Amino acid sequence: MSGWLLRRGLQAVATFAVALALLFILMRAAPGDPLFRLSADRPISQKEIEVLRARYGLNQPIGKQLAAFVGGLVRGDLGVSIEHGRPVTALLAERLPATLLLGGSVLLLNFTVGLWLGVRQAVRHGRREDRWLTTLSLTGYAMPSFWLGLVLAWLVGVEWRLLPAAGMQDPLLSPDAGFLTRAGDVLRHLVLPVLTLSVVSIAATMRYQRVAMLEVLRLPYIVTARAKGLPERVVTWRHAWRNALFPIITLFGLWLPILVTGSVFVEAVFAWPGLGSLAAGAVGSRDYPLLMGASLLVAALVVAGGFLTDVAYALLDPRVRLG
Amino acid sequence: MDLGPVSPVTRNMSRLAMIAALALGTTVQAGAQAERRGATGIVIVTGQQATTPVPTLMEGAANSVGNLDVVDQLFLRLAEFGPKLLTAGDRDFVPALARSWTRRDSTTLVFELDPRARWHDGVRVTARDVVFTFSRAKNPDIAPRLSDLVRQITSVTAEGDSRVVFRFARPYAEQLYDASYHVAPIPAHLLDSIPPDSVGHSSFATNPVGNGPYRWVRSVPGQFVELAAVPDFFLGKPKIERVILRTAAEPSARINLLLSGQADAMDIIPPPFVGRVASDTTLRLISVPSSTMGYLLFNQHDPKNRSRPHPILADNRVRRAITLGLDRGQLVQAVFGSQGMVPYGPVSQMLWIRQRSPRAEGPNIAEARRLLAATGWGDSDGDGTLDREGRPLRLVLSLPTTSGIRRQMGLLIQEQLRRIGVQIEIQQLEFPIYIERRSAGDFDVDFSAANQDPSPSGLTQSWTCTGGSNVAGYCNRGVDSLMEQAIRGQGDPGERWVAALKQIEEDAAATFLYAPAFTYAVNRRFRSVTISPQSSWLTLRKWSVSPVPVAGRSQ
Amino acid sequence: MTALLDTLRAAWRNPRGRTGALLLLIVVIAAVIGPALLPDPLAQPDILGASRPPGLGHPFGTDQLSRDVLARVVSGARISLGVALLAVALSVTLGAAVGIVAGYWGGAIDAALMRLVDGALAIPRLFILLLVLAVWERVPVLALILIIGVTGWFATSRLVRGEVLRIREEAYVRAAEALGARRRRIIFRHLLPNALGPLLVAATLGVGDVILLEAGLSFLGLGIQPPAPSWGGMILDSREVMVSAPWAGIFPGLAIVITVLSANLFGDALRDAVDPRSA
Repeated sequence: MSGWLLRRGLQAVATFAVALALLFILMRAAPGDPLFRLSADRPISQKEIEVLRARYGLNQPIGKQLAAFVGGLVRGDLGVSIEHGRPVTALLAERLPATLLLGGSVLLLNFTVGLWLGVRQAVRHGRREDRWLTTLSLTGYAMPSFWLGLVLAWLVGVEWRLLPAAGMQDPLLSPDAGFLTRAGDVLRHLVLPVLTLSVVSIAATMRYQRVAMLEVLRLPYIVTARAKGLPERVVTWRHAWRNALFPIITLFGLWLPILVTGSVFVEAVFAWPGLGSLAAGAVGSRDYPLLMGASLLVAALVVAGGFLTDVAYALLDPRVRLG
Repeated sequence: MDLGPVSPVTRNMSRLAMIAALALGTTVQAGAQAERRGATGIVIVTGQQATTPVPTLMEGAANSVGNLDVVDQLFLRLAEFGPKLLTAGDRDFVPALARSWTRRDSTTLVFELDPRARWHDGVRVTARDVVFTFSRAKNPDIAPRLSDLVRQITSVTAEGDSRVVFRFARPYAEQLYDASYHVAPIPAHLLDSIPPDSVGHSSFATNPVGNGPYRWVRSVPGQFVELAAVPDFFLGKPKIERVILRTAAEPSARINLLLSGQADAMDIIPPPFVGRVASDTTLRLISVPSSTMGYLLFNQHDPKNRSRPHPILADNRVRRAITLGLDRGQLVQAVFGSQGMVPYGPVSQMLWIRQRSPRAEGPNIAEARRLLAATGWGDSDGDGTLDREGRPLRLVLSLPTTSGIRRQMGLLIQEQLRRIGVQIEIQQLEFPIYIERRSAGDFDVDFSAANQDPSPSGLTQSWTCTGGSNVAGYCNRGVDSLMEQAIRGQGDPGERWVAALKQIEEDAAATFLYAPAFTYAVNRRFRSVTISPQSSWLTLRKWSVSPVPVAGRSQ
Repeated sequence: MTALLDTLRAAWRNPRGRTGALLLLIVVIAAVIGPALLPDPLAQPDILGASRPPGLGHPFGTDQLSRDVLARVVSGARISLGVALLAVALSVTLGAAVGIVAGYWGGAIDAALMRLVDGALAIPRLFILLLVLAVWERVPVLALILIIGVTGWFATSRLVRGEVLRIREEAYVRAAEALGARRRRIIFRHLLPNALGPLLVAATLGVGDVILLEAGLSFLGLGIQPPAPSWGGMILDSREVMVSAPWAGIFPGLAIVITVLSANLFGDALRDAVDPRSA
């Protein structure tokens, strides 16, 4: 087992290295220069540009920049953001919790509602409910998240004033408000962004789970269990479901990139202070260090997610380890 | 084969959970309302969060709107503008940190500080603070941008605790402006022990201590900044106790915050929203002269070879034709409604010289066509676009993707010029690329937008032969000398500036398109509301709040 | 070949698949002949009277530049569908090629290729596109198609490789090899035809993905440049007026949903036909 773990771990590191190299090449080949953005409205003197260029190390050749970057990465230093003027690691650390909260809530909804609906579909396979749910899920999957977000923010936030249209918390709450009050406040702000992201992701989860469950329901031992007269409920939840756990684990590994992608749009539309909105801003201003840091973080999460799901598989199914 | 919800127990549990959530939600909601009603506060929506709102630290990216909005609340200037925003001379300014000022001679200005002024930690503001501030401000290694702005100030010395003496390199009209506007004093007693290049990382930068009407409370990254009123502020305690500047980068998110009642005030409502905001009876719309101005800058040189003149635009008759061929009034009306005007010369609504200059001329399609024909352009192949010697009259209009206004107007301009046979190709560039190309002079027509300082002397950057931002290569020595005279104060500065503007217009260096007024929205429960054109929320300390909440505000 | 026709026929028989195919057909027909019947999507006839709500003369209303929304949505269909179909064709071709090479040749080539695929898959496609589009500032449509296509082959290559690995062990392939058949013959005669089913499914579902992707890129200002109408670009412009003229943004959004939905319905039906276990 440990031999397998080591090999698999090295694989993950190698994958991450490939991703890092790709990212670095892509970004440094860009013709835009982050410092020129500063001369937006006010005239910027040449001297000022030189000072800033030296400060951010942009006048070094690319090879040196890469070496400096990798060296810094090993020490945990990702450089200083050009736009914000603060260390990238600090910025990422600040914004990560908000994205995790958003993503975590969406995942929670997926693993409850999405799973349940998918199982229900499989169990009522071929019936009207199943077909109806399939169409519904396909429609959800077809929606552009930013569009849905805009519409929801407008309808629910502005027109009907049922929920906050943007932001993560109410700034007017006095700082010594109780924990419950503050949690409730964040929860209210969380609803619309989570809803927007969930529509698409639950649709996909449903479909995935439905297929997985169907496959399992056809397995011989399930058929046998039914033939033995076990109540359907037991068959579904005690036997079949456990086997359908595998795709769930895969799903977890797949959801990270999808969550990150969706969050770029949704966080922008709802002014949710997470990584997505940070990354979106960094693209426009060619903030190299910040862009690199955010993309690396995402790639690392994806690779780690993949590694963890493989480990989970291996734990559940010995054949994987030996294969 | 019925398989409903798993079991009756589960079914009941989920029902219970729903009821519990609802109950929790309502109590939390009610609790939140109660806790908020304590102090009076205002929530202002901004597009950018303040990072280091400290004078002398606002260089490069830190010279941002986010920082500018906050720094004026924390740090008081020596003197502030009068109602006319006149930057020349000594008389139109209003005492702030300085109680009064006198002149000793044409190059020496003496300020008397107000003895009541205190830093937020209780220490008195003294002349030493001002001297210290300018020693940092004049250091090009610490503050390259600022040191350039205050280069005319040769020395700042203290005479006692309350008197500061400024000496200038030469006599000129804007000495008081230079001494007071660019940088507000910072506390020497807190900063003189910190080496200059460490200040940016110090605890002072993250928790500034100023002397203004509001003090720094906290900053929640990516969300908002909170300020609190200083109770014993020497010019009068602000009636609004809490100020929250709430950030949202997406314009639609900002407008949603305002319209959903989550925010009380917003700067610069984009024109398409104005109608919608106007229909919200809880909000009051305020028109504020803006410091921005948009124009089509014609490249005098060939973008492919800067030593050669531009093959089409070097001829000033072609440039005049384009100006006359555009119905600028209609363009402004379409994009800004009634909130915009067509400028005469490169002058935004905020500059005081606007009031002395003539009106911009209207379109004249016939004259435009005549000018083009006179320069040899005709439609030989009948395709609607003029051509000359086989070369079509095609120009590339460059603009950044970030400006919705320029995008919108660009399309209208394209359509209008098509009618006189000029073919415009719109090139939308991502902002950094756009800036890079512009600075390198790699464009035919650049759709520029300027954000001007209150002082007209900023015009020298773009419109004099050696101006640092003159990317189009426009050069008229007459304009240079007129501007120089205005700055020195030789003769009537206003007259000289207007003469320079007239020359620029005659040379058709650019087509000056729009000088908008911004529309701000403020919740009606705030009274005595005024907005300063050069710094939106400067007068916040004078606003008052009506005690009764205005109906219609939800949450 | 007959297998492919059978698959299509099976998908057609499926009521959802039929609905999807029909909707898609309608969208394609509208895209092809619509612009000829409708007013010019670029024309701004009435600047001062912009943002009209839907009504006679303008079934979808006009946007803030007084352009007819219906005309723009239909023109946008042309561009969005065109980009999607071409980009997907590119992705599928590349994916098939790489998958076959990796699966059939195996060994070091396989390992290297799959390592590259793993690394590329670790970075979400949107991020790669954001970065790549930062390199090529203003992108002509063809370049955009190229870039989207080139970033979309990774998963398909895995799929095809899996199929190749499976088929490679089949008796008839072994036999052909033993008889000395050339590799090219085996690829085109045996491997490729069997992979067509999954490829078709991937292609159809890919169309939906690319439409959403292109819309997202246009929403960020990175995709199709104005004044050419694209659905994502229309939503971008409309976000400033969503509260006062929502139709300018709702209709392009609906267009995206319907098109992607129909592509997915049909693709789903195809997948059911190819792999009955998931039906």
